[in-house]
Amino acid sequence: MNCTDWEEQIVSETGSAELVEHIRGCEHCREFAAEIENNRKALADVTIPAPAYDAVRLRVRSEIQAKKRRNAWWAWSAVAAAAGVAILCVSLILPTTQQPVTPKLPHIAAHQPRIEQRPVTVPVVRRTHRARHVPSGRLAVKMAPAQQNDPLVVKMLTDDPNVIIIWLVNEKGD
Amino acid sequence: MTDFRLKAEGAGQSAGLLERAKSGDLDAFDQMMRLHEKQVLSTALRMLGNLQDAQDAAQETFLRLYKSLNRLPDILEIKSWLYRVTVNVCNDMHRDRRRRRSEPLSGPDPVSSLPDPELAWVHQERGQLVEMALKTLPEKERAAVVLRDVQGLSTREVAEILGSSEVTVRSQISVARGKLKKFTDRYLRKRL
Repeated sequence: MNCTDWEEQIVSETGSAELVEHIRGCEHCREFAAEIENNRKALADVTIPAPAYDAVRLRVRSEIQAKKRRNAWWAWSAVAAAAGVAILCVSLILPTTQQPVTPKLPHIAAHQPRIEQRPVTVPVVRRTHRARHVPSGRLAVKMAPAQQNDPLVVKMLTDDPNVIIIWLVNEKGD
Repeated sequence: MTDFRLKAEGAGQSAGLLERAKSGDLDAFDQMMRLHEKQVLSTALRMLGNLQDAQDAAQETFLRLYKSLNRLPDILEIKSWLYRVTVNVCNDMHRDRRRRRSEPLSGPDPVSSLPDPELAWVHQERGQLVEMALKTLPEKERAAVVLRDVQGLSTREVAEILGSSEVTVRSQISVARGKLKKFTDRYLRKRL
C-alpha cells in the first residue's frame, strides 16, 4: 500500500489499527491527516450571533400571525359571500312564489284601457297626415275603420294594381 | 442512568411542547424553535455561506415545520425532519441563486475565479477558506460533509436524512474532504 491508499483511508475515517500505525511512521500521511482534521474543525466552528436567532424567531412568528389574520379574513369573506348569495336567492325566489296570491291584480287591469288608447290615436293621425301630403299622386292611402281593440289597417295603393301594401298597426303603435 | 433519565425528561417536555404547538400555542412553537434553531441555522449557514441567506432558509424551514406539525407523529422525528427540510430548502435556494446570479458555485478553478490567495489568506482565516471551498462542492457532497463534520452526525444518520445508502454517503464525504483539502492546499501553497 502506498500513501495515496492510506490517504483514502484517512478521509473515509476507517480508523484501522494499521492506519494509525502507518500515520505514526509516515510524516506525509501525518500532515495529510492533520490538514483534514484542521479543515473539519474549521467547518465545525460556526459562530452565529444571538440576534440572528432572535431575528429568525421574530420573522417566523410574525409570518404565522399574518397568515392567521389572512385566513381569518378569507373565512369571514367566504361567510359574507355565502350570506350574500343566500339573500340573493331568497329575493329572487320569494316574489315568484308569492305572485299568485297578490291582491293587486284588479288594480293593474284597471289601468290597461288607458294604455290601449294611446297607440290607436297617434299612428292614425300621423299616417293620414303623411298620406294626404304625398306629392306625386301615384300613391293613395286608404284607411280601414278601426274598432276599439282591432289593429289599425292602412292600405297603400300603388300605380300597379297588382301591388297593394297593407300596413297593420297594433294598439301600441308598432 | 442519570443521562438517560435527563434525556427522557427532555423528550417528555418536548412532547408536551409539540402537543401545545399543535393546538395553536405560538409560545410553545417559539420554545420548539429555540430548541432547534442552532441546528437549523448552523446547517443553513454552512450550506449557503452567508448569514442572511441562512436566516431566510431557517425561516422557511420553521414555517414548513409549523405547517407540518399535525403530520409529525413523534417529537423524536423532528430533529431528522428538520435536517432533511433544511438541506432541501438550502439546495432550492442554492439553485435559485445560481439561476439568478449565474454565479459559478462548482466546477471552475477556485484560484483563477477568486481574489488573490495572498490577500484571501491575509484577510480570511482557515474557516473562511473552507467556507469558500464548500461552495465549490456539488450539493450532495456539501450536504453530506456538513451533516457529518459540522453537525457531527453518524454516517447512518446522514444516510437516513439524505435518503442515500451508507456506502454512498461515506464515498461522498471522502470525496468532499479530499476536494476541501485540495482547495485549501492551493491557497496555502501559493501563500508560502
